[in-house]
This record gives sequence, C-alpha cells and structure tokens, in this order.
Amino acid sequence: MRTLSLPLIAVLLVGAVLGVQLAAGGAHYVPLRPANPCTARPLPPTAQQLEPLAEQIVLLGLDSAACRLGISRERLVLALGDPRSLSPATTGALKAGLGDAVRRLDDAHHLPKVSQLMPQVLAQAQLPGLAKTIIGAIPAGIIDSALPTGALLRRTVDELDVSRLVRELGDPSKLQSAIQSALLRAAGDQIRNRLQP
Amino acid sequence: MDADRSSRPVGARAAGAGVVAALSLAVGVVLGDAGVVTLALPEILRDFGATVGGLAWVLISFNLVLALAAVPAARWCVRRDPVSAQIAGLLVFAAATTLCAVAPSLGVLIAARAVQALGGAVVIVESLELLVTATGTERTGARRWALAGVAGAALGPVAGGLLTSAFSWRAIFVVQIPLVLVALPAATALRGRTVRNESNVPATPDRPHVLANIALALLSAALTAALFLLVLLLVDGWGRSPALVAVAVTAVPAAALTAGPILRRVRAGTRSEAVAGSVLIAGGLAGLALLPGAHLVWTLAPQVLIGLGLGFAVDSLTAAALRERTPRVLHGGWTIAARHAGVVIGLAILTPIFTADLRHAETPAKEAIARLVLDAPLPGSTKLDLAEQLGRRLGAERGRVPDLRPAFAALRVPPAQAPAVTSLETGLEDQLARAATRAFRTAFVVAAALALLALVPALALRDRSDP
Repeated sequence: MRTLSLPLIAVLLVGAVLGVQLAAGGAHYVPLRPANPCTARPLPPTAQQLEPLAEQIVLLGLDSAACRLGISRERLVLALGDPRSLSPATTGALKAGLGDAVRRLDDAHHLPKVSQLMPQVLAQAQLPGLAKTIIGAIPAGIIDSALPTGALLRRTVDELDVSRLVRELGDPSKLQSAIQSALLRAAGDQIRNRLQP
Repeated sequence: MDADRSSRPVGARAAGAGVVAALSLAVGVVLGDAGVVTLALPEILRDFGATVGGLAWVLISFNLVLALAAVPAARWCVRRDPVSAQIAGLLVFAAATTLCAVAPSLGVLIAARAVQALGGAVVIVESLELLVTATGTERTGARRWALAGVAGAALGPVAGGLLTSAFSWRAIFVVQIPLVLVALPAATALRGRTVRNESNVPATPDRPHVLANIALALLSAALTAALFLLVLLLVDGWGRSPALVAVAVTAVPAAALTAGPILRRVRAGTRSEAVAGSVLIAGGLAGLALLPGAHLVWTLAPQVLIGLGLGFAVDSLTAAALRERTPRVLHGGWTIAARHAGVVIGLAILTPIFTADLRHAETPAKEAIARLVLDAPLPGSTKLDLAEQLGRRLGAERGRVPDLRPAFAALRVPPAQAPAVTSLETGLEDQLARAATRAFRTAFVVAAALALLALVPALALRDRSDP
C-alpha cells in the first residue's frame, strides 16, 4: 500500500492541476481566429458622415472580397500590406466586394441621403468658393432626387482605381483625394445622365 | 555487498557546513552552466553577428562535452587523490570560464565552453566523493550533490538572464569564477579525510545501473523543456522582466527542496518515488502546455508539480544509480553523462519544434491583430496610421515576439479616442501572449511524453525491499 501511495498522490495532484487549468479554458487559450467572411455581419447604424460611411463600405467590402477569394478578411488585409503581391483577381474581388457592400447597405436602407453628406463633401472638395456656394444653395430634396446615394456610390466604386487605392493606403491624404475625385466624378456623371434627354 | 552501505558513515566525522555549502555551490554553478546562457543568446548574437545555428553551439557544446566527458573524467579521477583532482578540475573550469568572459569571437567562446565542460566534469564527479566525505554518509552526500545540481540547473537560465540584463553576457562568466574558486579551500580542508588508492578501488568496476540512468536521461530531456522553454516563454513570449521571472521560477527548486522531507516521511521505495516523480514532471509539463492565461500565477502549480517530481525522481534515481556500486565517482560520472545526454537530446528534439511553431505562430498572430484593429471602434484614418506602425514593428521583429508598445506610443489621437486605443493595445498584447503560449504548447507536450517514457525504466526498477 505504501508503494502505491506516492504514485497515487502524484496522479491525484496532476489531475487536480490539469482539471483546474482545463476548467479555466487552458485548451482554448489561442489567438482569436478570423471570422468566416461569407457569414454576413450585422449592419452597423446608418453613418451620417463620409468617413464612417467609407469605413462601413470598406469593412463590408473586405468581407465580400475575401469570401469571393476564399480566404479570411484578415489574410486579405495583410496581403494588401504588400501591394506588389496584388493580383488582378484580388483587385477585381476588392472592387466587386465594395460594390456588394454598397448594394447591401442600400437594400437595407442604411445609406444616408447625399444631402446629409454634402456639407462635408463641399468643405473638403477643392472647388472654387462660388461653386461651393451655388451647390450649397440647392435644396436637399433636389439633390437627393438627382443623386440617390446607392447609385452614386456604386458609380463611385466603378470609378475607383483599386490598385492605386491600395498603393496609397499608407498616405491618408492621397487616399482621401482619390476617393473624393472618384466621388465627384461619379456625381458629375450622374447629374449629366439625369440632364440628358 | 553491504545492504546498508548507503547510509553508513564513510568519514570519521562530518565536515563543517561551510565546506558542504562551498562544494554544493561549485556543483550548482557547473550544472547551472548547462542553461546559463539561454537568455544571453540574443546579445551574444548581436555581439558576434553569428548565425542562429552557430549560436546554438554555445549551449550545445557545454552539455555535449559534459555528457561525453563525465565518465572518462570519472575514470581519470578514480585512481587519483580526490582533493588534487578536484583542485585541478576547479582550476581548469575557472581558466576556461575566464576565457569565456573575454572571448573575442564565437569560435573561441564555443571552444572555451567545451573546456569549461571538461573541467566541470571533473569538478562534478569529484564533488560527489568530497560531499559524501564532508556530510559523513553516502545517502546524505549523494542527496546534497543531486540537490545542488537540481538547484543549479533550475536557477542557471534565470541567473544568466539577470546578469545579462543588468550588465552583459560576459558578466555571467565573470561572476562564476569566484563562486567556483570558493570550493578550493573547501576541497583542501578535506585533504587526508578522504582516501582513494589502489586498495579501495575495485579491479573490475560495477556495471552502471542502466535503468536508473536511462530514466535520468529521459527526465533530463523533459526537464530541458521545463527549465529552458519556460524561461523563454516568460521572458521572450510574455515579455516579463528577467528579474520577475527569476522570482517566479524559483517555484521549481523550492518545490524540489520540499520533496526530501516528504520522501523521508513516506519511504515508498525507489520505484514508487521514480514513478511518482515521472508522473509529476509529465503532469507539470502538460500543465504548462495548457496554460489558461499569460499570468505568472498560472505557471506556479505546474512548476510545483515539476519541482516535486524533480525532487522525487532525480534524488531516488541518482541514489539507485550509486547505491552499492563502486567506484562511486565512476557511477556519479554515469549519472552526469546520462543527464546531460538527456539535455542534449531534449535540446535536439525540442528546439526545432518550438522554433518552427514560433514561426508558424506569426500568421495566426498577425490575423488576430488585423481582426482586432479592423473591428476597433476607431476612425478609419487612425486605424490606417496604426496599421502602418504595427506593420513596421511586426516586420522588424521577424521570428521573435514583437513589442507593439512603440507603435502605440507613436500614435497621436484625440483624447476621445484614447480609451479605445488603450483597450486595443491591451487586446493586441493579449493576442501576442496567446500566440506565444500556443507556440510553446507542442514542445511542452513532447517534453511531457519524454517524462512519461521515463515510466518504462522506472517501473522496471527494483525496490531495495524487493526479493
């Protein structure tokens, strides 16, 4: 009995320690795993400003692009850190993903009216002061009927040069300028289309 | 053979506590050298601009030469005066240690480490003889000897880390010189008390205790993980200071010290002690593989299991390997050879596993960081700034766990965003700790398997009371 007592106590001690550690989550103490990009995330509240809206579109767009590419959103983002490794398939998936994101927000009525975004756009746009004053004087109803947000953003995504955008990720001013010019070009195209008989 | 020889007095009277302490210190310092440079390796790498493969030889050369030289050194010692042999060993060790401290190149350092191990082999095996004389009984002397080795091996990596962070890696060797030379007067004090000549050396030495030595080798391979990998995890993986780690890992030698009184009280027999020790070491290593958080407190219970196991198994296996076998010094040499062969095998098996796992941990860690940054309640422009800074940190620390603090220190955000940034920094550090802990898991599991493997020879041991 004495010869068995020490090994028995050892087994009990080991069992107790391992039991406590497993109960405290020892088997699951691992880094956070990437979420499945093909599982739709809940939509955030409607953004009232340009930057949060852009971020929503980018985050949802990354999910959709990653799902199209069959990789995680995080792996896609890390790949974007090295623009030299960008393949046409990746840029194509990114563009399509951004389009998917706009469509999803539009379908869920989670896009703000253009008139709500207009003051911020005008403040940041490099337009003559007179032009800004004239555009600012246009009634919100006319702007919103001429420029439905969903259509405007879809056109903006079409205008975007995704490869250039990824290259300029490290320079926020260039990035902002690229998005703004795409947005203004899209707005111009949209208005021209509306004015054409 | 005299069945009770292990406990009978071998000297006329026990020497002073100072002599025993000085000899034990020499054993601790020499065996501590097995892992003393573990935490100094990055600094040595910077100083000499060596390759990682070459650098590993600073660690391997000492253990390999000690494993190979222990038995020949013991054979050399057998027919010499123990005190003279000990003095020669101490002087060679001290001279080689001095050369390590001033080594101008990696090649010289590796060569000096090999010579250190040669001198160390003589010091270790002769210390067994002298400790038995100094304590008065074989069992007490052998236990002191085994315990000093355990304490040295357990504290070596931490002491090396502390000295490197306080001064430089060269300080590790400078400090050792006076510590081992303290054993010179202690050995001299025993001159004439221990006599080994042709008359008390058997013509044919007893065969080494194969089972006990195999079990010692396997447990030493497993303990490599406990002593080296745990320190690496705490300092390099979790970013704890060597001073704090030094305090935390004293749990192993502290628990090992409590094993002695338990063994004397229970008296379960060699086999039971070795089996219980192997189970405890395997369980402690499994506990390190299943840490539920990056808090030092979680490592304490596994460390206590390992320390108790170490005290049970190494003590009883060493005693079994030495018991009723002559010449004692030769069988002491066999146990040292077995233990350090185990350390080399442990390093050879576990190093590639954990370095590969650490490399593979990079991607999940980066993905976890990317996920937290993407989902953080911060404006996109702040996230882009932060991503750029984090990218630089992750790129600069390739193969090592990065320090993300500079990335956050460089970030300029409005006060309203500060709480979210602080929360993100905490979250990212947690992810890095998780990734590092995960990277060491397989190595700890393999080490636990090595300890379990030691059960095979341990179960085959015969207790002294067995027919």
